[in-house]
Amino acid sequence: MKVYVSGLYCGGNPQPGVGIVRSLRQAFPNATLVGVEYSNRVSGIHWDDLDDLWIQRPWDELDLESYGERVRQALDEGGLWISGSDLEAMWLADLFPNGHRNLLAPPLAALKRITKPTVEAASGLPVKIPPYISTEHSDWDLHAFCREHNWRVWLKGPYYDAARTPTWDSFAAARNALTKVWSTERLFLQSHVSGYEESVMLAAYKGELLGAVSMRKREITPEGKTWAGDISEVPEEFMAPLRRMVKELAWTGGGELEMVRDASNQLWLLEMNPRFPAWVHGATIAGHNLPALLVQGATGAMPKPSVAHGQEFTRVVLEVPVRGDYPLPPLPEPFAGAIGHSMKHPSGLTSLAKKLHKANPDLLEVVVEEDGPDGLPAIPDSFVADIDSYDFARVQTPQFLFMDQTASGLFKRAADRAHRLSTNEVQVVSGYSIKTNPDERLIKLALDNGFYAECISLLEVQKALEVGFRPDQVILNGPAKWWPEGLMPKERMHAFFCDSIADLERTLTAMEAGEMSSRHVGIRIRTPNVVSRFGIPLDSPGTFRKLVEAVKRLPADTAFGVHFHMASDRIGVSQWWHLFESMLKWCRSIEKLTGRTIEVLDMGGGWFPDDWHSDDESKFAKAVGTVKAMLPGVRQIVSEPGKAMAQPSMALAMRILEIQEHEDDSIEAVVDASIAELPMYFFYPHRMLRKCSETGELQPIGRGKTNLMGRLCMEHDIVAANVQLPEGSKAGDLLIFCDAGGYDRSMSYVFGRG
Amino acid sequence: MYLAAAELRLDLLEREDSLPLASERWQHFPYSCFSHHEAACCEVAREWIIANDFAQLNGGDLKTGPRWLRQKYEWGPSSWPMHWCDVVERDVIDCGAHAALAHEAFAARGVTAFRAQFVQKYSADATVQWRKKWGDEEVSDHWLTDDAIYHEGNALLVGDDEVKLWDASAGWWINARQAGGGYGSLVAVRIFADGQWGGGDGFRWGDHRIKPNQWHQL
Repeated sequence: MKVYVSGLYCGGNPQPGVGIVRSLRQAFPNATLVGVEYSNRVSGIHWDDLDDLWIQRPWDELDLESYGERVRQALDEGGLWISGSDLEAMWLADLFPNGHRNLLAPPLAALKRITKPTVEAASGLPVKIPPYISTEHSDWDLHAFCREHNWRVWLKGPYYDAARTPTWDSFAAARNALTKVWSTERLFLQSHVSGYEESVMLAAYKGELLGAVSMRKREITPEGKTWAGDISEVPEEFMAPLRRMVKELAWTGGGELEMVRDASNQLWLLEMNPRFPAWVHGATIAGHNLPALLVQGATGAMPKPSVAHGQEFTRVVLEVPVRGDYPLPPLPEPFAGAIGHSMKHPSGLTSLAKKLHKANPDLLEVVVEEDGPDGLPAIPDSFVADIDSYDFARVQTPQFLFMDQTASGLFKRAADRAHRLSTNEVQVVSGYSIKTNPDERLIKLALDNGFYAECISLLEVQKALEVGFRPDQVILNGPAKWWPEGLMPKERMHAFFCDSIADLERTLTAMEAGEMSSRHVGIRIRTPNVVSRFGIPLDSPGTFRKLVEAVKRLPADTAFGVHFHMASDRIGVSQWWHLFESMLKWCRSIEKLTGRTIEVLDMGGGWFPDDWHSDDESKFAKAVGTVKAMLPGVRQIVSEPGKAMAQPSMALAMRILEIQEHEDDSIEAVVDASIAELPMYFFYPHRMLRKCSETGELQPIGRGKTNLMGRLCMEHDIVAANVQLPEGSKAGDLLIFCDAGGYDRSMSYVFGRG
Repeated sequence: MYLAAAELRLDLLEREDSLPLASERWQHFPYSCFSHHEAACCEVAREWIIANDFAQLNGGDLKTGPRWLRQKYEWGPSSWPMHWCDVVERDVIDCGAHAALAHEAFAARGVTAFRAQFVQKYSADATVQWRKKWGDEEVSDHWLTDDAIYHEGNALLVGDDEVKLWDASAGWWINARQAGGGYGSLVAVRIFADGQWGGGDGFRWGDHRIKPNQWHQL
């Protein structure tokens, strides 16, 4: 018996080849085991259980057609083949779409039904699939997915590789890298599942399940790979549907279902691999020799009985002699000035991915939706109406455009919602954060719609008063409320929230001295476990005790309040709601320990417009109910939506100055705007439009190979990367970046204008 | 390690006919409880533990182990009695204090949890080290025998009658496979439960069925 085994890589993220060989040697001492590899740098080729080696040139050099013929010949001559590499298994499935009696790998039809992330074939198993989204969706939608899942998301490639993307810029960088490495734009984002990893390994021949075993990871490498584990039988409630799945797929070969078990005992399926896992010999040690079962199933040859040496296994590091006929190759020279030797994928797997794509573009593509998205963001009608109201012949670009209809609609909507949520016991009002955009038109809209003015400095207070707010409609918070000196209103303000205990003590002193007056005096709290520089920290019992003591000193005739702000778009929407609940628990403790009733709650900050305006109102209604239940003394909730009001209320118009086409199909278009007008470019995507110079039509801009370079002579001045300008775009064309009315506008700076 | 009075309840059984069960030494030993000054100092501390535990959940499942407690408080010798206002200020607390804090956290979350006592097997070398460490701090080392130790933790109800055992001072769930023998293994467990949980067939933990309020040998 001759068995070819591939996938002999033995680095930190090992392939299963050596484990398969060890297991086969244990079961079939006289078998001829041939190691197949595509680089002599792969250390597994030196494992002495291998009788022979079949070392091929790396995939980037290999002629797949002639190599395929040689593989066919080896199989025709009776050799069995167990693949230890996903991509090689795919190539073999493509080469033998209907299988080969000696190829112990799954057929093409089966592989197509286990593609990530849906793993459609596993629908009968007692598992769930973590939420995901294809990166073919617009950046706008992808950002929404990240927010929805609290930025605990992974960007995953079609075969290997996954990158945590906790921020928008890290996502953009990872997407570019994975797209380049794996030669495909079809990646997907998947929500992280917290829990313990476990796997089920199986062996099957022509749809008959020969064996399966469960493994829980007990030690993991920094990459999250198995270092030690325990082995157990697969429970029948999993085994029965697994047997059906294997039969439906007519599966042949090894396989692995990688899963996470969460705290509620729910299993989440991350992926199914078309091969044995790298820990395959760990199961053999526990008496479950699945490679042997596979060979037995295919040939009828009887293996030596498996002996269980224990139910747990671990890895150790072993040094083995290098084969004399395969001396170690030299280390590549580090790139000049670079660190390391740049040795990833020595067998050229990424080249195989590229070749497979070229030969068969549909082979195992990530297809997560039947009707693929067009990658274009939806543009609200009010945006179009507002933009169409401008005579661009008169607009000197770059220019911020006030979106009148959009802004009016947003403020009215917020006011209506606040009215609906109010009850006889609790009034819900909105607060407009002046710093988000101090444009007088927006402040006036806030005033007209019953908002309070939320200010962080006395200059902002002056601005609010100038526009028409009364002092008793002003809420002052932040660490610099006293700046600049001399501008503190003598009239009574609505609320004054202190950012530290020292700030609270200063406030009490100033109130006693008649230097300021506020109907409510309160504190901003910084809930633990969230990085923030604002508010009074609660992360130690000592600071909590000091806070309690300070609040007790508040004059009895001053109403008490609590202020809680955290950018929901940065931490994620459900995480924000958790923090909200956490904040209420802290408030309840503060009430209990101080004897002071909280009468006003000011909450919000940093809401992404879609999350605020489009979100199911029942969440807000539920929140009001929770406040009433936990803090019955609260009379007013000030809801501060932050940039949700300002961000959609302005757009930035710019013109293309020049278009440069490069040999690699990439395009650089220079525009007259810059990151000086779009400082938030790195933090969230903007919906972009081109105004067609011939028809005047507003055309949404999707993903492509064009980088929009700002006008500044600064290396990082790229206002949009990887976009697709519509056909016919040329110098002089007008582009409009929507969603620029928040911190883009208020934090824009004068630069490069002489 | 625990209430000084409790040490008087240690059962030092001498048997000639057979080796005593490891747990017999702690047959009548109560689990650890904090004292309360009935004043604001202790109430502030207790409220802080409860509110901070919820904050540390980070939006995760309510049945997630409160590992932050182990991160904040190292495991080591503690003198008893211990008041709430005292424990939160310490850097190092023993397993009884850890388990008491964890129980408070679980209860405040609204999940069903029980106090648990463990006997674990280690080695003579390990107990010699611990005995020295506890001695250096002038804290009782009654929790140590030759190669077995008394330990405290929690049992969290995760199904109709299934529990997971939380080792609060390690910050992990005890593996049901790691029972009965070997270094670090659990050799006996006692779960304190009353009311509807105080009778019946007891709790299921892995392949074991554990009757409440009595030592169960594994």
